[in-house]
Amino acid sequence: MVFKCPGGAAVLISAVLCVFGPCLCGGQQPVLSPELPEPLAGGEVGEGGEAALLTADRFQIEGRAAVYGVRPEIWAPSAVVLVDGEEHVGFIRLDGSFTVNDVPSGSYVVQIASPVYKFEPVRVDITSKGKMRARRVNYIRTSEVLQLPYPLQIRCTGLHSYFIERETWGWSDFLMNPMVLMMVLPLVIILLLPKVINTNDPAMRQEMEQSMNMLNPNPDLPDVSELMTKFFAPPKSHSSSSSSGSGSSKSGGGSQRGHRGGPRRR
Amino acid sequence: MAGLCSVFSVCLCLLGFSAAVFEDQVGKFDWRQQFVGKVQFALFDTHSQASKKLLVATEKNIFASLNSRTGDLFWRHVDKTGPDGHIDTFMMHGQDAVVVVGNGRLLRSWETTVGGLNWETVLDTGSFQSAAYIGVQDVVRYVAVLKKSAISLHYLSNGHQKWVENLPESDTVQYQTVYSGGNGQVFVLGVVPNSHIVIVEYNIEDGEIMKQKSVAAPWLSSLQSSCVMVGSGVLLCADPTTKSLYTFPLQSADQTTMTPILLESLGVEVAAGFQPVLISTQPHPARPPLSEFFLQLGPDYHILLQLKDGLVSTLRDFNPSYLVAFATTGEKTVAAVMSPKNETASVINLYSADTGRRLLDTTIIYSMDPNGGKPAKLYIHAFLKKDDSVGYRVLVQTEDLVLTFLQQPGRVVWSREEALADVVTMEMVDLPLTGTQAELEGEFGKKADGLLPMVLKRLSSQFILLQAWMSHLWKLFYDARKPRSHVKNEVTFETLSRDEFNLQKMMVMVTASGKLFGIDSKSGTVLWKQYLENIQPNSVFKLMVQRTTAHFPHPPQCTLLVKDKDTGLGSLYVFNPIFGKKSHISVPALPRPILQSLLLPLMDQDYSKVLLLIDDQYKVTAFPSTKNVLQQLQEMASSIFFYLVDSSQGRLSGFRLRKDLSTELIWEVVIPTEVQKIVGVKGKRANEHVHSQGRVMGDRSVLYKYLNPNLLAVVTESTDSHQERSFVGIFLIDGVTGRIVHEAVQRKARGPVHFVHSENWVVYVYWNTKSRRNEFSVLELFEGMELYNSTVFSSLDRPRPPQVLQQSYIFPSPISTLEATLTEKGITSRHLLVGLPSGAIMSLPKMFLDPRRPEVASDQSREENLIPYSPEMPIRTEWFINYNQTVSRVRGIYTAPSGLESTCLVVAYGLDIYQTRVYPSKQFDVLKDDYDYVLISSVLLGLFFATMISKRLAEVKLLNRAWR
Repeated sequence: MVFKCPGGAAVLISAVLCVFGPCLCGGQQPVLSPELPEPLAGGEVGEGGEAALLTADRFQIEGRAAVYGVRPEIWAPSAVVLVDGEEHVGFIRLDGSFTVNDVPSGSYVVQIASPVYKFEPVRVDITSKGKMRARRVNYIRTSEVLQLPYPLQIRCTGLHSYFIERETWGWSDFLMNPMVLMMVLPLVIILLLPKVINTNDPAMRQEMEQSMNMLNPNPDLPDVSELMTKFFAPPKSHSSSSSSGSGSSKSGGGSQRGHRGGPRRR
Repeated sequence: MAGLCSVFSVCLCLLGFSAAVFEDQVGKFDWRQQFVGKVQFALFDTHSQASKKLLVATEKNIFASLNSRTGDLFWRHVDKTGPDGHIDTFMMHGQDAVVVVGNGRLLRSWETTVGGLNWETVLDTGSFQSAAYIGVQDVVRYVAVLKKSAISLHYLSNGHQKWVENLPESDTVQYQTVYSGGNGQVFVLGVVPNSHIVIVEYNIEDGEIMKQKSVAAPWLSSLQSSCVMVGSGVLLCADPTTKSLYTFPLQSADQTTMTPILLESLGVEVAAGFQPVLISTQPHPARPPLSEFFLQLGPDYHILLQLKDGLVSTLRDFNPSYLVAFATTGEKTVAAVMSPKNETASVINLYSADTGRRLLDTTIIYSMDPNGGKPAKLYIHAFLKKDDSVGYRVLVQTEDLVLTFLQQPGRVVWSREEALADVVTMEMVDLPLTGTQAELEGEFGKKADGLLPMVLKRLSSQFILLQAWMSHLWKLFYDARKPRSHVKNEVTFETLSRDEFNLQKMMVMVTASGKLFGIDSKSGTVLWKQYLENIQPNSVFKLMVQRTTAHFPHPPQCTLLVKDKDTGLGSLYVFNPIFGKKSHISVPALPRPILQSLLLPLMDQDYSKVLLLIDDQYKVTAFPSTKNVLQQLQEMASSIFFYLVDSSQGRLSGFRLRKDLSTELIWEVVIPTEVQKIVGVKGKRANEHVHSQGRVMGDRSVLYKYLNPNLLAVVTESTDSHQERSFVGIFLIDGVTGRIVHEAVQRKARGPVHFVHSENWVVYVYWNTKSRRNEFSVLELFEGMELYNSTVFSSLDRPRPPQVLQQSYIFPSPISTLEATLTEKGITSRHLLVGLPSGAIMSLPKMFLDPRRPEVASDQSREENLIPYSPEMPIRTEWFINYNQTVSRVRGIYTAPSGLESTCLVVAYGLDIYQTRVYPSKQFDVLKDDYDYVLISSVLLGLFFATMISKRLAEVKLLNRAWR
């Protein structure tokens, strides 16, 4: 999508259609089906002869709108029928029906604008002879015809939702937070496990020792980290480091004892 | 694929950004005011005594009902603009109102309590002349509509046509009036100018012509302007040349000439050159009009006359009197007359219509606004009091479109500023500092003082601040005790001061009628208004803030350039935007048409920015033009450039200022007018800041923006409007050098084009004629991976053209207007504010209009937070910043930065005015209003106590261990 512009004179042809994907690139067929005419042929006719065309080429769009369970007196006064924006305007009668007058032939999107209720827009095609057809609005596949009944039957599809919910704070949100779960669960395990497992029971102790030994299959094998420290430790502090190292090197078997020694000393 | 993409993007927008409103924020910082425009017809619902309905039909093609107790709207129906929606006439009977719309094209009946449409009938073509209710035996059954060549009768109950008849000899006779006295006849009156009157009587049942006769009236040119029906079927006409009245009874069988009555015989004189105006009244449509009528003999002179047995007698002479009106309640008809009292007030009195006697205790004093216009129309709401005497309220419309509703003895019940229905341009001006704040500011300005006085001053100002804070706290405490409804934040000039975050500003609005308003942006209260008289109706206005409130001893200053569209002659009006007072600064005379005006960042000694006005001989006038300014201009002249647009010749030209304030042409771009015409030229806003010079890409390199402050976006439309050949062109032109930086053509497209030009991008909307939909297109300009000259931008030294990226999107709705948000420093992300025809204002994140949106999401694009491309732009009602407060016919959106970086002030104007704030990147710099103080303080307290307790426990434990 980068158009390098050599000088100022390059004419840029819009790449819009190609971007819209295969549906449009293939869709070079006429937008309306053959029975529908070209819309009014532009300037000379549209502007010059407008007064003369007034009766001959102007049609009515008729329809009925309904909101389920609400009487039209309540919603109709605040709603308005808009055809292609504010180009043509119609009002809704007290029985829910509406008429938009003086619409020239062409293709239009009819929309009911209400500040409360939501209505689906409908595309209405009018031939030059005044034949009408209603279909679903599809801005991407503009030639697709999903026919709808005419006179229009527009039903409310719900209320407009203008507001978003505030994020409220609750204990469940707090507790279900993954960070909290990560913190709280180990804490619970640390606190509760010693209570559950009786460490003073010798049978249990033996069992644990065995399981620990299972984890450390060969206590005689020197630890890799230890080897490293031995290698890279400065020779001057060799004695101290080796002593501490040897202390830890024994840990293979002895640390377990040492650890368990703690509570016993108490 | 597209579906997947859209689902993904929807997810993204749910996560990422929201411009939505929370339900509890409704009305907290936003307000809407609804208007109807200049009233053409106004009727009070007299159906029942308790009714408070006032029905109005206005020049803005609006039919509405107002609450006559409060002035609020009950309901309002906005028809389409232009002559097709024009309301020709409006009549009311009982609960229903009948309206003729669009030069007699439609006949509508409205139910007035809820505002619903009863029925609607399309009438035959033909220019509308008049309409009347037709009553039979005291009951109104039909409505008759008279067109140029036909008359039709419709049932009042369902609008069905009873009959339609062509009028005889309609090519020579101008039929203008239809009349029915309520006895089953329909009279149609026509005139052949300066020859004779034609009277045709129709049968009400089948439309058959019963009688047809003509009466010689060689002095008469129009029935509508000089004739009325009076009494039981008497045609009364006024002739200014012979200074006489003519009467003719319609039902008379043998009379063939009109009976003249000389005005001199009544003892009255017509003002020289004045066309006398007759005013009569028909209280009930099924009964004949009253035999009393007003005759206006001069601009301020009316008399009340009575026609009895073919003789006219004077009931009362009102000299001087501005306005008169009839009103009926029950069986009584009264006449209200407004006459001058003194220079600032008028007095309205009621007179009995049948005798001309003044009714006691019926005086209303109407005091005129010295900054407003004269009263123009009078509407009376009469009612019967308990003692059967007539009481009344009066609605006055003035020339500056103020509707005032008054009751005895002159109390204003409500008033509406209908001029605000047509706002042309506006500015937001910072409010001045309070006295204490100004004191503090002043402290830093002076330098001469020694150390000790400085310390003392510091202390004293701190004390003042403390005092102010204490009084503020006291007020808060005091208000908190009162019930909520009693606390009123009345905004007056005394309380008007800048708030902490500069969120409250003064909105200066210019209306098409030439009335200026100063409105407080927080509450919407009109603080000042000024009516500029002698403004031509087709003037164009340009409002400029020459001096802001930042230069304390000097008052802020706004300048309004009023330009007549036809002659191009301009005039300047200089005023203080806070108080609305006209400034006494002498304004340069502008004898020649003005082509262009520009506000320079140069300042005079008194801190007012220099305004340059270029006339049609390319001579420059500076305002203010003091010596200092002229000297600065001479120094700076070589770097002051400006451009002119001549759309009729398709020419854009750039000029440079010379030292002697003449100009030289530097460049010229001609866009051939045979092919395309210029529809819009936009530069960037002067107060716009761009925070970041570039965009960080996914691979951590920087793509630098092309930030040319002199860039102009020029939009053209093809003259050929055929759907296959029409196109929309956009040119980006450097305003200094005239170089065309970029040029793009959108084929098979037409206007109306709305576009926004800001930072390094241009967004424009056009109509795709092939696919019949609106499309957004965005152009973004980048310098590339390195910046050419990072310290300063010069249009003259830019060897490389910018890289241009473009992308287009479908927008599933038409568009009324387009604007971009603006913040103080430009750090906050931008949103586009889109005004939709349904009245909603949508805040669309600029993120959706990014030409770098990839077709397929990659890791790098995800790193950059780019949304994958989807052709259709979503419209989500959560993005509607005005929720259900729709703004009808939105014409413009004004955005202004506030003191908070996150907040942008928005005013949408059209028929209504809506003011709100938007937070494009949410409120990142202040605590949100839903900030949970309770939670945070409880957590803090909890932690505090926990540490205390655990400390204590640890101490105990240590002690125990030591003892062991």
